[in-house]
Amino acid sequence: MNKVKMIFSQTLMVSTAILFGLGIQQLILYLSGIGDGKITWQWYIPLSIVLTGFLSSLPSLLLTCEFGGSKVKTVIVILLHFLMVFGIVSGSGYLFGWYVNSGEFLLIAVMYVIIYSFVWAATVWLMRSDDNKINKALDEIRDPE
Amino acid sequence: MKVILEKVSSDSDEGARIRAKEITDEIRAAADLLEGHGKKIPVTLKGEEMPTETLMISTDSIYYFESVDKRTYAYTRDECYETKYRLYELEDILGSNYFRCSKALIVNIRKIKTVRSEVGGRMMTELLNGEHIVISRSYVRDLKRKLGV
Repeated sequence: MNKVKMIFSQTLMVSTAILFGLGIQQLILYLSGIGDGKITWQWYIPLSIVLTGFLSSLPSLLLTCEFGGSKVKTVIVILLHFLMVFGIVSGSGYLFGWYVNSGEFLLIAVMYVIIYSFVWAATVWLMRSDDNKINKALDEIRDPE
Repeated sequence: MKVILEKVSSDSDEGARIRAKEITDEIRAAADLLEGHGKKIPVTLKGEEMPTETLMISTDSIYYFESVDKRTYAYTRDECYETKYRLYELEDILGSNYFRCSKALIVNIRKIKTVRSEVGGRMMTELLNGEHIVISRSYVRDLKRKLGV
């Protein structure tokens, strides 16, 4: 049940991130003077975002595996996760026509790296913040060594 | 002293607050009793097929309980004992200082030195004896609730 919940919340998060990315892409195109400032989406685009969000959340199951505290394994799994999600996002982008040339693909790739790094940075910050709170609470009740 | 007993519907709501002008020995004893201090449980030395001696050890000295192959072991700083209790039974017997941290482990919160979050939502804890144990993702919330974080 926990894993279903995790997939669901990840789907929502990734869908929002993709929507944000596409929004930024349109903003950049608009500011660059490319196009007429109007956006027209095919009927399947909103659904494709949710579908991509769902598919991108599946590699997160990798992160729930036990690594036995090994830093090397953790880094490898994160790298694998990064590549898998990137494969899904760029594959979906190609399939659903989010980009039509290599320039737009590059833009999506750069945005993906920025969003992925930002999400990890925020996650680590939240984790450390939680750790500090818990360790402070433990300090108050810990038995003497 | 006026004593009020109130029935609550869930385990997480259970608790006791003692309001006193002075913290006397009697009040400390009452708090210890509520927290499960000084409780003793019967154990035998690990690995004995036919245990000859049953020992009574204080639950305060136990770092964690582990269930392996339907057997339950109690780990103190330097020793490992076997107990007849199952983990779910220990959850009822032990006081509020103990916490289920995974399917197979119950840990004494007062013996945790530090915690560190890991990828995937787990937490790695270092105990006062230097051992490391993992708090499963689904139990991290229980720890936070217990500590009021």
